[in-house]
Amino acid sequence: MFENLFSDYSLTVGMLDSIKVTLIMSVCSTTISSVLGVFLAIMLEKHNFKGKKLVVRINRTLMGAPPVVIGLLTYILLRKKGPLGDLRWVFTIKGMVVAQTLIITPIICGMVYSYLVRTAPKIRAFAKTMGADKWQTDKLILSEIKNEIYFSIVTGFGRSISEVGAVMLVGGNIKNRTRTMTTAISTLKSAGEFEAGIVLGIILMIMAFIVQSLADYIRKEATEDENY
Amino acid sequence: MKITDLKKQQGSFLLNVKNAQFEAGKVHGIIGANGSGKTTLSKIIMGTLPYDSGSIDYEGLTDRDITMTGQRPYLMHTSVYNNLIYPLKVRNRRIDENLVDYWLEKAGLQDKKKQYALSLSSGEQQKLSFIRALIFKPKLVIVDETLSNLDPDSADLFERLILEQQQKDPITWITISHQLVHIRKICDMVHFMEKGNIIEKATPQEMFVNPTNPSVIKYLASTEVSFKG
Repeated sequence: MFENLFSDYSLTVGMLDSIKVTLIMSVCSTTISSVLGVFLAIMLEKHNFKGKKLVVRINRTLMGAPPVVIGLLTYILLRKKGPLGDLRWVFTIKGMVVAQTLIITPIICGMVYSYLVRTAPKIRAFAKTMGADKWQTDKLILSEIKNEIYFSIVTGFGRSISEVGAVMLVGGNIKNRTRTMTTAISTLKSAGEFEAGIVLGIILMIMAFIVQSLADYIRKEATEDENY
Repeated sequence: MKITDLKKQQGSFLLNVKNAQFEAGKVHGIIGANGSGKTTLSKIIMGTLPYDSGSIDYEGLTDRDITMTGQRPYLMHTSVYNNLIYPLKVRNRRIDENLVDYWLEKAGLQDKKKQYALSLSSGEQQKLSFIRALIFKPKLVIVDETLSNLDPDSADLFERLILEQQQKDPITWITISHQLVHIRKICDMVHFMEKGNIIEKATPQEMFVNPTNPSVIKYLASTEVSFKG
């Protein structure tokens, strides 16, 4: 079935580079989104302000926003004549990272916020009974929901590597430069190279599995350090 | 500790404690029917619930001198050991392993030191929460319904620990419980709450054996615990 797997055409779509681009883009965007998402979730849970409900509702809407719309908005912002055109990030990995960050941050923020709303008041009351100061309380809250934060980050990463629409629009699917594995699969499909597309899909899933296993391993190490 | 004109509106319930005094170094019990405001008052004293008006004079006690343990205590998602040393870590105190073992042994949790705290039975979780509240030598301990739902052995252990502590190094206790037999045994003073106010304060003997306040008499009759004879 796969005798024509690495046909000239498959190689010309830049499979190896697409793997590299996917990894760089996903790791960068997930890292930035994790920091932003967790920080925003903490701020949102901690502070009461006018319009908070609206902000939460907007965030929830963005969690399910079609990536292609976010991609279009990012493209409009970054294109040569756009407000951020001077950055020259359109059709670059940086631009794709921006789009991915805009897609993933609300997901991580929303998930972490939901956990915090449920647990933070209890943890805060407990911390008070233990005499913890504000900093120690925040540290305890983060430590108590670390598994949930980890789950949110893994979900964000999964979304990042599987995304097509936004990266296609902002990155332009340029071979060896901005072509990701998902956009490469799309290109292979258009050319009728289904076998190579399937292989790339399998590689994508293996990557997701490896990242998941690695994260599980790191979490297990941290857990064992706690002397259960 | 002195409470004056303390008010807190919660929905249709109004906590309105005109005057209350909790003398230092004594074991105080707060009793009263469900919904009389016992837990609301204890949370306000602990500082986990803000109040609307009035004042609490802690007489020099700081946040770090007060602790509270409840019927459904919060246990951190970690080991029994890490839970127990948390208040010491918060205070940047050196972890004295002998002290940790002493308290674990007292609570009968020595062999569960490395166990995940949330895997303990509810009685064991309460015991852990109780010794965690005592390990850092607080000056005021609020015990909210911890004695409820405990097997007799565990309830006895709690009583013993409180009485031992009072003999060794007296601290102030505020215990809230429906277990009037325990309250009578361990308390120096009993405060009776009704409709958000403390309406009676007396020694256990006066409160349980010779009550004069009609509300107290009615409450004691409803609990079906006889202290006469």
